[in-house]
Amino acid sequence: MSDYVLQAQDVAIHYGGVKAVDGVSLTLERGQIHGLIGPNGAGKSTVIDAITGRTRLTRGKVMLGGEDVSELGTTERRMRGLSRSFQRTSIFGQMAVRKQVELASHKMGVKDSDADADAVLKELGLTPLADVTAEDLGYGEQRRLDLALALVGRPSVLLLDEPMAGLSVKESLDLAKHLKALTSRWDVSVLLVEHDMDVVFGISDVVTVFELGRVIANGAPAAVRADPRVREAYLGSAA
Amino acid sequence: MSNLRVGMSTAAALAAGAAVALLVSSGTVLSLLTQAVIYAVFATGIALLLRQNGMVSFGHALFFGVSGYAVGIVLQLKLMPAELAVLVTLAGIALAAFAVGLVIVRVPGVAFSMLTLAIGQMFFLTASRSRGLTGGADGMNIDWPATLFGVPQSLLARPAVMFMVCWSVLVLVMLLLVLVLRGRFGAITEAVRDNEERARFIGIRTLMPRAAVYALSATVAGVGGLLSALNTGFVSPEILHWSVSGVGLMMVVVGGYKALWGPPLGAIVYFLARDVLGDYANHWMAIFGIALIAVIVFSPTGIAGALQRLFKGRKTVLAAGAVAARH
Amino acid sequence: MLAINLFNGLVYGALLIVMCSGLALIYGLRRVVNFAHGSLYMLGAYLGYSIALQTNFWVALVAAPAVMLALGVLLDRYGFRLLQDRDPLTVVLVTFGLLLVIEDFVQTVWGKSNLSVPAPAALNMSVDLLGTPVPAYRLAVIAVGAMVALGLSLWLRYSKVGLFVRAASTDPTTTAMQGVNTDALSAGVVGLGTALAGLAGVVAAPFLSLSPSMSSDVIIDSFVVVVVGGLGSLAGAFIAAMVLGMVQALGAVYIPDLAAVLPFVIMIAVLIWKPSGLAGSRT
Repeated sequence: MSDYVLQAQDVAIHYGGVKAVDGVSLTLERGQIHGLIGPNGAGKSTVIDAITGRTRLTRGKVMLGGEDVSELGTTERRMRGLSRSFQRTSIFGQMAVRKQVELASHKMGVKDSDADADAVLKELGLTPLADVTAEDLGYGEQRRLDLALALVGRPSVLLLDEPMAGLSVKESLDLAKHLKALTSRWDVSVLLVEHDMDVVFGISDVVTVFELGRVIANGAPAAVRADPRVREAYLGSAA
Repeated sequence: MSNLRVGMSTAAALAAGAAVALLVSSGTVLSLLTQAVIYAVFATGIALLLRQNGMVSFGHALFFGVSGYAVGIVLQLKLMPAELAVLVTLAGIALAAFAVGLVIVRVPGVAFSMLTLAIGQMFFLTASRSRGLTGGADGMNIDWPATLFGVPQSLLARPAVMFMVCWSVLVLVMLLLVLVLRGRFGAITEAVRDNEERARFIGIRTLMPRAAVYALSATVAGVGGLLSALNTGFVSPEILHWSVSGVGLMMVVVGGYKALWGPPLGAIVYFLARDVLGDYANHWMAIFGIALIAVIVFSPTGIAGALQRLFKGRKTVLAAGAVAARH
Repeated sequence: MLAINLFNGLVYGALLIVMCSGLALIYGLRRVVNFAHGSLYMLGAYLGYSIALQTNFWVALVAAPAVMLALGVLLDRYGFRLLQDRDPLTVVLVTFGLLLVIEDFVQTVWGKSNLSVPAPAALNMSVDLLGTPVPAYRLAVIAVGAMVALGLSLWLRYSKVGLFVRAASTDPTTTAMQGVNTDALSAGVVGLGTALAGLAGVVAAPFLSLSPSMSSDVIIDSFVVVVVGGLGSLAGAFIAAMVLGMVQALGAVYIPDLAAVLPFVIMIAVLIWKPSGLAGSRT
């Protein structure tokens, strides 16, 4: 069980009477891309918030590389290699691209933050935009910057909250390629929340389906796609 | 900005100041320029807080005035030589502002501005009423000694010399800020300003840097206050009034808060408006008010920002022209 | 002696109620801390003076606020509405610029010396209140304050427009989506708020003389009231206004040094402890 790079065990998040997430268990293996899908309000973003430490768990545990991080804050988990990107692009608007990536790297404690920053920028195709002020970037470029900030310091786990949102078809495909490359070249494992069905089923090794705060299906993409419960709940029986 | 450019700009600025001091013969004009320079330092302090923290202070007159009072009191009580008094005052302001900053920078948005307003006014009222030590509403004289940092008072009494002293201090302050802000500290405070949550997420402790910026901006304002105290030999409660903070803020907005030379530009514009507008001198406040509104609406980064955009535009046109010419 | 001071406290408190309700209303709808509010008060007072000179006090009492109402509508339409997408601090600075323009205008038209306005003949006498003679005019001022407080509360609570105002203060977007013309509403409310400032000015004139420093004398107190009362809450403002009025009046006599500083101490404490009153849980 300590083979898992990330593990959520029976995680529950209750707000007052609302059970946003109710008894969810997830695992992420090394080098894997694990897709999370489900209708709006199913609890997917809440699960990400819980795993990264942004919201408190009502119940359950989060294990990172075998270590119980349930009591740690977001920053501490980040320092241990649990990183995320944000659903609403969260960057430093008035700073240049390279400057903020290097700052993030430095703050992570990376010894050679310049080299780390350059590597991340290169990986995401941002090197030609290194000196551009963040707010002057196009939407897709800003999303990549958001991702770059999450990738400094070589995290072991990357949680992505709707990374394709608002991207064009080409940009989505490019990002998907980047993600696939990351898992092999950079030894990053990815947990991905997405609406774009084609992307999720296209690049994920494992897919988990949510509904109303619970897992209703889990497995290889083809199997999940064919699962009648999933079709009914999410894809519509016509699919 | 590379070290070479910084060094050259500093030298050029000092030389320009010397040129003005030597070439301008009118004592009145030099006095006016000196006042503008003093307010330029004050405005630079206010702008620092706005640029690095994204916070607007309506209470910086507090630091502008308190430095004069502190030095005055210390000299009156003959506690230490004037040179030491100056340094101790600045250090005291820095520390006190840091402590206050730790508490108040957590207060968001407009609430912070109102808070600075209240704190400033509180000190204004206290100073107006305490006759004993500070002379109350009448103000107090400052017993500067015969020589200060080796410069005799008789020399400082000459407008050209006083101007040069104040100008040099302004240039030095700006140099210091350039050096301090281009490193880690500047990057960290900008990150906190742009996106506090993400800054925390990447491991930045957001409270300390912001309090430090507040302390630094207070100290710069304090330096301006010391120059003012040196220039007039006098300090009175009016200098602590929120309208003084308001004037400083206006200089920052009109001049531009992003460029380092924006606030000094704003100070010059203000004093030009006030003393040079001639026939309209009676209405200069209204004109300045309209200028303030116009700047905010049309060019939020002030005159400096507009000039920078203009210049960047020309550079792009030139570059495009050069590219086209090659084909 | 105490009775007189308490009475004066009530009078000043009533004045603050009229003025600060305007400030609170403008903030509620436009999220603007109107630095120019004190100068609007001053403008109303001076306008009232001129109108009263031509006609009489009672005409001025109606006419000056009416002019201020129109001014307020213009201010909203061509000022606050056009800047509503900007950072709130930006708009605050604009009101600061406006303050300068209005102050200059007042000084240009009416000069810098103090002007006095006599109380209207009907109220220019002493009335016996619980054994102490008090100026009837000041009693009337308290009445005005009470009427404004009561009137506004009832209007907001029970009228349809009042409902819209409360809704728009809480959630402008949804309210607009419900079909309420929030722009017209804002213009009306800002107009009302400005008119209230003007009314406070006219009412204040007979017992506080007119001077160019009028606006700065009250603006800080107004901010204290509105902050301590809680910017979203009119009721809070009413209470805070009364308390501040009392503190100023009593304190000035018995503990002058402390009384001057006390409002600020309270304001600072409130802002540090609960800034959400100003910053708003609604952004």
